[in-house]
Amino acid sequence: MRGAWRVFELSLGEMLWSRRTVFLAIVVGSPVLVAAVIRIVDSMGVTPFRLNGQRLDYTAIFGVMIWLLFLRFIVPVLGVFYGTSLIADEVEDKTITYLFTRPIRRGAVLVGKYLAYLVCTTLVVLPGVMLVYFLIVPFQQIGGSFTMLLTDLGLLALGLAAYGGLFALIGAVMKRPLIVGLVFAFGWEQFALVMPGYMRRFTLMYYVQSLVPHAMPAEGVTSLLQAFFTSTPSALTCLVSLAVAIAVSLTLAGKAVERREYVLDQ
Amino acid sequence: MISTEHLSKWYGQVSGLNDVTVKVPPGITGLLGPNGAGKSTFMKLVTGQLKPSKGTIEILGEPIWGNPALYHRIGFCPEQDAFYERMTGLGWVTALVALNGLEPAEAEAAARRALEAVDLLDAAEKKIGAYSKGMRQRVKMAQALAHEPDVLILDEPLSGMDPLMRRRTIRLIREWGRSGKSVLVSSHILHEIESMTSNILLINNGRILAEGNVHQIRELIDTHPHSVFIRAEDPKALARALLVEDGVISMRFEPGAVSVETARPDAFYARLTEMAASGEAGVIDEVTSPDDNLQAVFKYLVKQ
Repeated sequence: MRGAWRVFELSLGEMLWSRRTVFLAIVVGSPVLVAAVIRIVDSMGVTPFRLNGQRLDYTAIFGVMIWLLFLRFIVPVLGVFYGTSLIADEVEDKTITYLFTRPIRRGAVLVGKYLAYLVCTTLVVLPGVMLVYFLIVPFQQIGGSFTMLLTDLGLLALGLAAYGGLFALIGAVMKRPLIVGLVFAFGWEQFALVMPGYMRRFTLMYYVQSLVPHAMPAEGVTSLLQAFFTSTPSALTCLVSLAVAIAVSLTLAGKAVERREYVLDQ
Repeated sequence: MISTEHLSKWYGQVSGLNDVTVKVPPGITGLLGPNGAGKSTFMKLVTGQLKPSKGTIEILGEPIWGNPALYHRIGFCPEQDAFYERMTGLGWVTALVALNGLEPAEAEAAARRALEAVDLLDAAEKKIGAYSKGMRQRVKMAQALAHEPDVLILDEPLSGMDPLMRRRTIRLIREWGRSGKSVLVSSHILHEIESMTSNILLINNGRILAEGNVHQIRELIDTHPHSVFIRAEDPKALARALLVEDGVISMRFEPGAVSVETARPDAFYARLTEMAASGEAGVIDEVTSPDDNLQAVFKYLVKQ
């Protein structure tokens, strides 16, 4: 673990100031922009969202943004783009040599870089979520829903950890990890989630979304979609499943990196 | 120090190294061969970055593949010009030597010593992205020697250095050899290797052609014109000064540089170093030699 920690220290700064972080900021910035627009429209006296003629609760709007934008889109996207490139970026930049010719296991290099990914993404995503929250939820409603925000932050961190771990494994064993990762996140997971039966249990989103604390709108397409997730496993089952998924993914990824040769382009 | 038995490496259908059995003794050994000869493959196998397709390789009596503990005793300076550009030289070397298990304060002290050894302490706080080619080469060497390894493996370490730094680095490598460290250094320039050691491994087409004290190669290479590419502040002034030198056959100007063909490479390099030291023809930034010279000699050798 000491080696992994040293790799984490070395990698975090590089990751935070990389071009990829600009992409991350843009992705996370979009919901913030949407939230700012909602706040401006609201301050102009226009009610932006209604359901059955009723003004939609702002906490519910925040819940929908967490659910649809962050959990269903941003978390898997970041997991794919960062997770699959943990080692690939070092190989592409030809800096992997410096890490693989040191007296630490290659698996520790992967774990160190995974931890750097986790810290880097949560440092950008979680403040973004907080901004969205404070832009959307009126000041007087904050007290009642603040615990929900904290749960959301924890949930997003867990989602980033789970997707990052799985895509680290895909990055370690596949030749075209980005394509495979995108197909998994936006092909397989979307398909399996809407299929009846047990298939959804073979997705990460099933367990992550089951932990969402928000009460969704009672009618409409969103509620219809949510109905698919209401037959949810218990919170404990979800947490244990995600923890197992992370541990298994990282263990297998570490073993794959130990065995694999990385031939740098001349 | 290094021993291989029937060592082969294939990249799919392509052979990188073919049935190499060799024992590299302690001291300084030069690995000499043109580009594509198998030097880099050999270096990557020796440093455990690649797994042998066939045969065995041992460093200090132990297999290197999947044996990270052995890297406590090995320092590697790779050929590629790749860095964490945003880090300072000191920060980068400190971070890498910390991976050897040193505490932060020890790691920084070791990094400072290594940067001082390669004459880079003044630029230690500068970002690597702002370093010249020669400084980048030196900071790479610093990370290789910071943890004071028993074996140093240097892949084309003099590439892109100016004449003064080249001379200083050669002296440094010789000092390491004298201090009991073992050094394996690769190059495609015989004169560079020869100035460090007379113990040479000749490699071409993935095979070791010869090993030991190869004087004949030295004589052979003198019969072939040798090209030198020099990037300088004032290439015209440099060319004027070099024109009068004995052995210069031809010159060709390129943007910010001059390419010189000489029949007496030793004398030429010595004179170039003097000029760089005195500054009589302006600042000389970079000296490189294409491997065409050696390629011609190898073709001749293979025919023999």
